[in-house]
Parts: sequence; C-alpha cells; structure tokens
Amino acid sequence: MEIRVRRRMAMCSVVRCSAISLTSSLSRLSHRNLLIPFRLLETSCFNRSLSTSSPFCAALRFTDKHEWVRVESGVATVGISNFAQEALGDVVYCGLPEIGTKLSQSDEFGALESVKAASELYSPLTGEVTEVNDALADKPGLVNKSCYKEGWLMKMSVSVPEELDALLDEAAYERYIKSIED
Amino acid sequence: MILRLSDLNVISKSVRLKSTLTTFFDEIGKDIIIKSSSTGIYENLALEDWIHDYVDLQNRNILLLCRNSPAVVIGRHQNPWQECNLPLMRRLGIPLARRRSGGGTVFHDTGNINMTFFTSKKKYDRHRNLTVVTNALKELRPNLDVNSTDRFDILLNGHYKISGTAAKLGRTAAYHHCTLLCSVDRSLLSSVLKSNNSQVIKSNATPSVPSPVKNLMDVDPSLDTDTVMEAIASQYKKEFDFATPVITVDPTHESLMPGVHKMTRDLLTWEWVYGKTPKFSVSTSVVVDRVNITLDMDIKNGKVERFDIGFPDGWLPLEIVNEFTSTMNGSRFCPRETAVLLSAFIRTNSLAADIAEKIHRLCEGVISVM
Repeated sequence: MEIRVRRRMAMCSVVRCSAISLTSSLSRLSHRNLLIPFRLLETSCFNRSLSTSSPFCAALRFTDKHEWVRVESGVATVGISNFAQEALGDVVYCGLPEIGTKLSQSDEFGALESVKAASELYSPLTGEVTEVNDALADKPGLVNKSCYKEGWLMKMSVSVPEELDALLDEAAYERYIKSIED
Repeated sequence: MILRLSDLNVISKSVRLKSTLTTFFDEIGKDIIIKSSSTGIYENLALEDWIHDYVDLQNRNILLLCRNSPAVVIGRHQNPWQECNLPLMRRLGIPLARRRSGGGTVFHDTGNINMTFFTSKKKYDRHRNLTVVTNALKELRPNLDVNSTDRFDILLNGHYKISGTAAKLGRTAAYHHCTLLCSVDRSLLSSVLKSNNSQVIKSNATPSVPSPVKNLMDVDPSLDTDTVMEAIASQYKKEFDFATPVITVDPTHESLMPGVHKMTRDLLTWEWVYGKTPKFSVSTSVVVDRVNITLDMDIKNGKVERFDIGFPDGWLPLEIVNEFTSTMNGSRFCPRETAVLLSAFIRTNSLAADIAEKIHRLCEGVISVM
C-alpha cells in the first residue's frame, strides 16, 4: 500500500514538472491562442492536483460551476477548482462575503477579478459563512498558486448535508470537464 | 412596441410571466443589436444587468449600444476615493456609478460609445468582440492604425488608448463591455479621474492603470459617434451573419423589462456605489493653529470602523475626543453625514467655543479626504 502511494506520488511529480514547463511556455503565446492550449493542459494539471490531494482529502466535491467543497467536522471549506483558476488567469482581487452571511445552495457569494473580468462565485451548499480566507486580501494570487489548499475562499456551516451527496465527486467532475471541453 | 405590449395583455398568465422583451427577442431572431434610448448611466447599467439575468443567452449573441451623459464609472472592486475626484464631481453634478464588471475607472459622456457584447459563458471572447470594433473602424477609414492589445485595450497609432474593456462572467452567461472615445471632453475626463487624496489611502482595491487617451475625432473629424456606431452595428451583423435591424429599447420601460426599475435603484444605493469599496485605511493630518494633528481611519463597507486622532497632550480633553471618535464610528465616510454628526455633536455636548472650533477643524480635515 505504502509503495503504491509512493509510486503514485512519484508519477505525479513527473506530471507536475511537465505541466509547469507547459504553463511557463504558455505565457509566451498570444492571448488569442490561450484558450486552446489551456484546454489541452486542463486534463494533465487537473489529474495532477486531484491525484496529489486525493490520498489525504477523500471528500472533495465539486459543483458544475467549478467550486470545490471539503467538509471536515461539520465545516465546509470552499474554493475554486484548478480548471477554474486556469481559465481565469491571474486573480487580482477576491471579493468575499461577510462572516455570518446566510447562503442558499448556488447563491452568489462573491466574485474573483482577473484580467478586468469579474467572475461570480456560487455557494456549493446551504449554510452560514463562518470564516473567509483573509490571506487573500494581500495575496489574491494564492487562488492560482494553491487553489486546493492556501487559496481556499471561505468556510461555511452545513445546513443541508444531503446537498453534499448530490455534488460531483472527483471522477464525475473530471468527466464533466472532459464533456464541456468537447 | 406599444402595440405588441397591448397584444400581450390577452395572452395567458403563464406566458405573461415570461419577460416581454425576451418574448420579443424570441420573435425577431437569434442575434440582436439593441440601442438604448437613455443616456442615464444607472439606467443603462441596469439594462445590462437585466439582459444578463433575464435573457437566455445560450444560443444568442446580443450587442447593446449606448451613450451616457457625463458620469464616472468605477470597476466592481475599486475604491472611488482613490480613483476619482469626488469633491469636483459633486460640485459639477457628475454622478458616480459602480458597475458589476471588473477593470478600471472610466469617464463617460455622449462623445463616448459604450458597447456590451452578451454571449453564453462558453462563447465569451473579448478579442473577437474587439476585432469587430477595429474592423468597423478600418472599414470606415482603411488607413486608421487601430489594434487591440493583450490587456484588451484598443490603441490608436500604437500609443493612445481609445477603448477600455471590462467583463462579467455569471452562471451561464457573460458580458464584455468596452468604451470607444470619439469626442469626449478630455479636460473634464482628466480632471475627474485625478483623485484628490490617493496618497493618503491604503487599499487592496484593484487600481486603474492610467493611459494617454485620444478621441477618434482628433484624428478624423468625420468619425462622430453616430457614424462609428453605425459602422460597428454593420460589422457585428457581418461577423455574426444576420440582418435584423437595430432595435431601440427604453431601459426605463418596466413592463417591457419587469424588474429593471429595482435593478436601477440597486445601482443607485449608497451601499452599492460606496459601500462595496474593499476595506481601506486613511492616514492624513491637519494643522490646526500650528499644531499637527494626525487622523487615522479604517473604512469598511464605506463606514468608519476605527478612528484615531493623534494630538499633543492637553490639546483637547480626552473624554471629548473619545466621545467624538465613538460618534464617528459606524458613520458613512461621506461629507454630508460627517457634517450632520459634527453639528449634532457640538450641540449635544454644549462645547466651549475653542473646543468646538478645534473639533470643527478636525472634521474639515476628514471631509477634505472624502
């Protein structure tokens, strides 16, 4: 078991290296062409992030609007997926809700700004905002650098636990991304 | 249009619940160009919101064209105190609006064309839209040197900005809007976009990137807004391959667009225009009778969250200062509210004349950065 995990990690790091070199070469391409190489990349980056995180965080769930949610001890942490952060480009401002804001599932809870575009954020669950990631005020780029860890957006209580079951698991989200790419 | 509306009154209730402009769009075709009959900034921004929220944009492209009376429009996550000269705008009666898209601050007047390109989120493509604009201009004047940049600006002669962009991406729909300077009042533009107090404000709000600008009419006097708008409309039809004529829409027409009045009112509220400013702090000082007094404030949701006054011992009684700062806490960071609070404070505390004068001078210092 241990060996398998290690081997998996080793493979992941190879994928990660190739993904990074691809990403850096991306910046040399013109914006007009960005969308196409992004789409080619998505699958590899996506596999990388998910497979590195999955041995530790089995309960990552996704919405079809590309938010992820992880519930630990009754508190849901919410962020955006790697697919979403790559599509956005460099995030320059994170508009996050006030603590105590009551949200219904799929309510708008804020917006991320990148390259002059404001992208609305939608709550994956019903509940109340208990914490927002204050580190993003000074470092909004954490959403790009570490979308599943340091770049989390908010934490919320879980009022309707059944909603979580209806969200996409990692495999289903991956299939969903493939389907929208076509 | 009016005929159509009265026809609709006899249609069954379920159909009437559908928006009437949407129904109208469904009848006239897939891709549409509309022109707003209003030059009110809030009405036109509400029209954008309404189309974004109520029109099914999954299989449809819409171009909205409009012009506005003088107004300053800030991006969704910007700080107006940092971006523009609010005291000057108040004096001149120039309204401030906050849009729902990102990007920087712009000045509008009727010499500027506003275009909004609505698409599904999937078909959102700012370069394609800007190419419609540059091709329209080249169609009019083949020798015009206009190109869009990586930051989605359009530059004239490789240097002067004539168009700026911002966008909003929602659940399934998106819009990209941009400006195009034909004949704006450039001296007014630069004076209102020059903040009176940007150096005293610390903020994480997204800053604007100032650029040298030019009017199209400066290089070719025949490029007036009507000519250019017409060229953009025909280029858009060419790009999306349709022939439906441009429809004029009145954005104040509630029955045509149910809910549009509320959207306009929401855009006008102080809570949206100023209150949505990302938290910031102000550090300034005033000299009162050769004594330097420092003023430090944290402003959250447009309201004073912390107010510290630094002064030499004995300059003001501490209990008066504490009373005054607690009066200011929670108040809107705006000159009118501060003035009202000040006069109430002086009245209720029946202050001695010299102390009242000092408090007065402090408030002047605060108001000067509002």
